[in-house]
Amino acid sequence: MANYFNTLPLREQLAQLAKCRFMDSSEFSDGVEALKGKKLVVIGCGAQGLNQGLNLRDSGLDVSYALRPEAIEQKRQSWKNATENGFVVGTYEDLIPTADVVLNLTPDKQHTPVVKAVMPLMKEGACLSYSHGFNIVEEGMQIRDDLTVIMVAPKCPGSEVRAEYVRGFGVPTLIAVHEDNDPKGEGLALAKAYAVGTGGHKAGVLMSSFIAEVKSDLMGEQTILCGMLQTGSILCFDKMVEEGVDAGYASRLIQYGWETITEALKYGGVTNMLDRLSNPAKIKAFDLAEELKVIMRPLYNKHQDDIIDGTFSRVMMEDWANDDKNLLQWRADTAETNFEKTPAGDVEISEQEFFDNGILMVAMVKAGVELAFETMTAAGIIAESAYYESLHETPLIANTIARKKLYEMNATISDTAEYGCYLYNHACLPLLADFMKDIKTDVIGKGLSSDDNGVDNARLIEVNTALRSHPVEAIGSVLRGHMADMKKIV
Amino acid sequence: MDTAICLDDLSVNFDDRFHLHHINWTIEPNQHWVITGTNGSGKSALAAVLAGVGDIEQGTLSGVPSRVGLVSFEAQAELIAKELKKDDADIMDVISLGTPVQEMIFEACADPELAADLVEKFGLSHLLDRAFRKLSTGETRKVMLIRALSSKPDLLILDEPFDGLDVDTLAMLQQHLASIIDTTPMVMVLNRFDEMPDFITHVAYLEKAADDCGLLAFKVDRQDKSAFSELYQLLHLKTTDLQVPAPDSASKFPSLDPAQPLVKLTDATIKYDETVIVDKLNWTIEPGKHWQLSGPNGSGKTGVLSLITGDHPQCYSNDIFVFGFQRGNGESIWQIKQFIGYVSTSLQWEYRVSVSCKNVIISGFYDSIGMYSKSTDNQKKIADEWLALLGMKDRADQPFNKLSYGDQRLLLIARAMVKHPSLLILDEPCLGLDDMNRQLVLALIEKICAGHETTVLYVNHHAEDQISGIDNYLALEKNH
Repeated sequence: MANYFNTLPLREQLAQLAKCRFMDSSEFSDGVEALKGKKLVVIGCGAQGLNQGLNLRDSGLDVSYALRPEAIEQKRQSWKNATENGFVVGTYEDLIPTADVVLNLTPDKQHTPVVKAVMPLMKEGACLSYSHGFNIVEEGMQIRDDLTVIMVAPKCPGSEVRAEYVRGFGVPTLIAVHEDNDPKGEGLALAKAYAVGTGGHKAGVLMSSFIAEVKSDLMGEQTILCGMLQTGSILCFDKMVEEGVDAGYASRLIQYGWETITEALKYGGVTNMLDRLSNPAKIKAFDLAEELKVIMRPLYNKHQDDIIDGTFSRVMMEDWANDDKNLLQWRADTAETNFEKTPAGDVEISEQEFFDNGILMVAMVKAGVELAFETMTAAGIIAESAYYESLHETPLIANTIARKKLYEMNATISDTAEYGCYLYNHACLPLLADFMKDIKTDVIGKGLSSDDNGVDNARLIEVNTALRSHPVEAIGSVLRGHMADMKKIV
Repeated sequence: MDTAICLDDLSVNFDDRFHLHHINWTIEPNQHWVITGTNGSGKSALAAVLAGVGDIEQGTLSGVPSRVGLVSFEAQAELIAKELKKDDADIMDVISLGTPVQEMIFEACADPELAADLVEKFGLSHLLDRAFRKLSTGETRKVMLIRALSSKPDLLILDEPFDGLDVDTLAMLQQHLASIIDTTPMVMVLNRFDEMPDFITHVAYLEKAADDCGLLAFKVDRQDKSAFSELYQLLHLKTTDLQVPAPDSASKFPSLDPAQPLVKLTDATIKYDETVIVDKLNWTIEPGKHWQLSGPNGSGKTGVLSLITGDHPQCYSNDIFVFGFQRGNGESIWQIKQFIGYVSTSLQWEYRVSVSCKNVIISGFYDSIGMYSKSTDNQKKIADEWLALLGMKDRADQPFNKLSYGDQRLLLIARAMVKHPSLLILDEPCLGLDDMNRQLVLALIEKICAGHETTVLYVNHHAEDQISGIDNYLALEKNH
């Protein structure tokens, strides 16, 4: 199988990358009609599979689950998830031939074997749906000509997809049609109905392409979302300990700090995150972020280039073929870092203190979000996609570090994200070595002393203007407006 | 505890949301107090002060022992929110199971033997491996109680400890409390005088000084019979003459065939793994026939209700007929929910969004938690009428989540009734309310029962909270 993106001519590549449009709610007036009475068969019953299925069924659609025979015989968790919730469960052979739509909600790595097993069983003219396009775009999976191929990707964890639906709302969702596989021209209608069925239309739907989704998703997860948080955790912890800050305190400040500061990011973007700092600290964070952006920009460019030309996925798939040798080694190395091994101390850190004593962390998040956004948009990905794949998801990942540090983050993200995260981390640690030499506890661990309390008015105005006029803030305020009613996750 | 706890001219600020002013109060060793008062007067706040909550602005607080056990709705909600938050954090494809009950109880336990004994007595043994957040309201309450009792506190603070417990558990708990009165001073927040245990020696009565401020109005020694009965009178204020606002004609749901039952469950069964919670239940609710549903904690009351409302995933594998729909034939849950008004403790916990009081009421027209659609002028007008009825007109634009627990409940009841639903489900609607509001709610329900539009399904533990007009009863048994 060849990388699909690389088979396209340049202008088509650019057109696909730039595809992203915020849809109007009037485009969903047909509701779930296009899927009404059709048979939807979900493959995979993890958090996405189960929760999307529950929503679709509650929207009046006919949903059942196809599992592998082992999962059924051994009554594995996926079997339990499906049967306890009252779904019909059967083997691929039982259910796939009857399906009008097959929803592939298995992990990326299983896509090739799953799709190969399922495709011959699918009936003429049916629809195959994905929630992530890696298999089509990077692995170049060829789908039978008579089948329609669509993507519906809720931009939130499965548990939230369900919780928001139950409240009468939904989560932001990205939809796409694989144009090479839309023989009857019904792909868009099916994808829209599916997004209505999961409640996504109430929170905002982006019409995108398989290519834009994959290239932006990969970029976001390996740089700002996971890579930057991992590298930042290790560097900040080691620096604090080196400067004599209590290790337990340092561990707590980082483990819970990402979550606290990115909560501010979620509500009001980079601007609000920096507004949580005192004026002198804000200027400090701004300057540090500027410095970080200069140092790290070549690395962000390299990640984006490798993703665009397929180098990243090729190298990762080689590692898959090599029994995940690199992945497993890197995972083991991460477990041995001092941050990972030092439990959070039994000290209380107030919400504001996470900001005041974590100025460098704020700077790292700002630099990472803006770099990822700038790099993606420079590569032709449109601002809406770039926003969701950088700023929007950062707090979701930060939550996982708060739960159980880097281990939890790497355990819950996809293998693809984890692999990319380690790649980034290995390159970024040496890159920031010189920068870190000048860092002292005033920006990480102890906060500014009262001597640093002066602020130049002109400089403050400059910084505030720069913060507020960054393009990620402009698109962010529009998109957050659509989500203003989402529940407060506190 | 061998020294007295002294609150000397104490003023306490709770995040600028609520204040207690100039509290003078002494709790001598061997005294056991009940704190009572109207909703929003700061009963829970005063109890929480003893557990170290709030910022002291004036006066002194002394003699509080270091080990204080606290059980309250707030603490329970906080613990549940913490558990739910763990769930929120799952990112890709992992289902978080949450902390098991076993860990919640024994992790930081001063007296594991006592804890084990209480687990047995509270009937939680079979739930030890279950995730805490999968428990029913009553079950989580029991876990909280066990945690507090087995921490061997030098002061035990129980905020509404008896609400939500079934009769047997209640008796057992009262007996246990009676057995530790010589070693453990207790302060209890109680809304119902008739629940006051015999060992209580004193009563403190709080009054609302302003919307965000309470003060300690009376302290009564139980020996003083006349003062005690006056206090009881005070709590039984007269109910208002209630006029239920009309529904919104523009957003009225379709009318139903009066010859058909509203609900018909045939051999309804709920089970997890091999545990059967509800076994082959047959139940028909005809229009206009009001029902009362009762049963001990864990007997599946909430499960049965959620089969009706469509919130239980197993409603698709059961034979259920509701509001003209045979379930599982392409109807959406919103088509079902439009006929139902619903109030429960868990709804209150799920209502964690920042919306105004008025929008909470209006959301009843949309069956949503929070508001995602534009409301009409008429809907706003109706919401105002409900706010006036509840005596909360001045709070229309205040954020719901800043109100007291009791006031939140009143609003949710208004939200459920606002559309005059075909079926009104009240799952322990009085849990956590004081006497006055309890009577207000019961009077409201009686009014609804007397009308012809709405059929009431009422779930409760308290035998005293009978509603005239309800004459059909279903009692569930514990199956497992």
